[in-house]
Amino acid sequence: MYRRALAAFLACVVSACALSGCARHRGPARGQLTLGMVTDVGGLGDQSFNDSAYRGLVTARENLGAYVQVLQSRSAADYQPNLNALTNLHYGMIYAIGFLMGLDLDSVAKDHPSQRYAIIDAVVDDPNVTSITFREQDGSFLAGALAAMVSTSHHIGFLGGADIPLIEKFEAGYSAGAREIDPSIRVDVKYAGSFDDVAAGKELANLMFNDGADIIFTAAGKVGLGAIEAAKARDGDFIIGVDSNQDGLAPGKVLTSMVKKVDVAVFDVAKSLRGGHPISGHVVFGLKDGAIGLTDFAYTKQYVGSERRARLDTIERAIVSGKIVPPDSRAALAGFKPVSL
Amino acid sequence: MEILSALIVLTLIKATPIIYAALGGVISERSGVINIGLEGMMAAGAFTAAIVSYATNAPLLGVLAGIVAGGLAGLVLAIAATRFKVDQIVAGTGINLICAGGAAYGLVLVFNQPGASKQVNALGPNYWVLVVLAFALAIALQWLLSRTPWGLRVRACGENPRSVAAAGLDPLALRTFAVTLSGALAGLGGAFLSIGELNLYSDGMTAGRGFIALAAVIFGRWNPLGATAASVVFGLFEALQYVLQGKISWLPADAMQALPYIAALIALAGVTGRVRAPASDGVPY
Repeated sequence: MYRRALAAFLACVVSACALSGCARHRGPARGQLTLGMVTDVGGLGDQSFNDSAYRGLVTARENLGAYVQVLQSRSAADYQPNLNALTNLHYGMIYAIGFLMGLDLDSVAKDHPSQRYAIIDAVVDDPNVTSITFREQDGSFLAGALAAMVSTSHHIGFLGGADIPLIEKFEAGYSAGAREIDPSIRVDVKYAGSFDDVAAGKELANLMFNDGADIIFTAAGKVGLGAIEAAKARDGDFIIGVDSNQDGLAPGKVLTSMVKKVDVAVFDVAKSLRGGHPISGHVVFGLKDGAIGLTDFAYTKQYVGSERRARLDTIERAIVSGKIVPPDSRAALAGFKPVSL
Repeated sequence: MEILSALIVLTLIKATPIIYAALGGVISERSGVINIGLEGMMAAGAFTAAIVSYATNAPLLGVLAGIVAGGLAGLVLAIAATRFKVDQIVAGTGINLICAGGAAYGLVLVFNQPGASKQVNALGPNYWVLVVLAFALAIALQWLLSRTPWGLRVRACGENPRSVAAAGLDPLALRTFAVTLSGALAGLGGAFLSIGELNLYSDGMTAGRGFIALAAVIFGRWNPLGATAASVVFGLFEALQYVLQGKISWLPADAMQALPYIAALIALAGVTGRVRAPASDGVPY
């Protein structure tokens, strides 16, 4: 009896170890910079926003020797538990990735005033939270301008994830940029109502292509993967990718990607922590920080000649100098007038 | 006219995975087991189909593997529901969690990247075969259930399993087979999503279609053809919201996106009228 109990106990211990990987798992070392991250529902693998943030952490691990842990959220109900789980581990910095987590982070941060947090894409007004936002409308403006130059049908599209203020910034900037080049251009707008229903992305993109749009800018997380899939089966139609460089997912079919270097921001904040002067308050990253911009047309040079690139550069300078102010909402878009450069 | 044809094509594509899952739901519930795990079985099928197509470059094998994976998930529910008499809702919910979590973990193991698989070989234009097959299976299942001795036995299991036992048959074996078949059908629906319509598996890509299928089962009054018609209605509303978005300026996108769910609610609350589930649906034997 005793031996059987012992055997059972040992079996439990061994299997528990195997399950938790205790042989190899190490926690952070004493004094090591610890960085935690909570993804939004898009999750890792979105080839987009969350992956970009994760790259920032990987850079911090490689360059700053940081200890990194990521918790993925399956639904909005996971945000607070995930944030609390990392808070209980007293990490040096906890990144909340995404606009959708704003309210949850606010309540967690108020409960733990001595813990440092950073949030991407939302402004949370607590002293212990660093809010990082991007001027997506600036990069989207460039994407729209390029789309209008390349489009042969004078008809382009925008595919958003959810119709929230953050995505509206992409939409408004893109439409304005297109009008800057071609005031009479038609811009169709559709929203998938999801950031992970890949199939919806494919069908919505196909609908817009069939309607006559020949370039679609996606700001929709994994839904964008479906749109890229739709473009692969077509000739002369393009997707403009978003957040991460998606050009290689379908070479020649992704005209460019409007990258938002969340990784740069994530790394900068981590570095400032190590330097002893943590970035705090609300910081805005934009074109001039190199945190927003278009990719280098590695597969689509034949559509984007030097003349068009020069025109894009002119527009970019005008945005940085404030001569062009890309709208960040549909209301602001209504009042937008093309600026003569 | 162009819009109309786009709408019809889109309706069929959107309805297909729901039809498969709903047929699975019908057969399971007619045998007396509530299958709330359809969503997870779809995910299992979608994931396995993508993996196998990736490994073998043969999408057809992927589809078969998706069917097998869904069937295995169905078998787990079947055994839990018959041999162990576990609460079927709890077991089904468990299936959903295990399948979604297992697929998420599998992505990291196989592709070394979380969230979504690499692009794999897909059926391409041949996926229309699966669309047609869905309707063919609906007719076949209707015939099997209403016109064959096997169908009578399955239905008897759902109404009064004791009578089946009294006739010298094993209701548990019949239920086990029905629920396994149910999982296989849901798995096929999942495979349609990952390597039929698309060419990758992505976490969350089933997007609640397994639950919509459950609504279709009730809306269709537990009949294969009824559930198929209900699935087409849901597919139609999903297609409608895609097509109409941006065309009716005063209606926000969010309201459009709610269309399929509003349709499901109305169907369940009113249009269906009085419905009667199989008498022993959800009751362990």
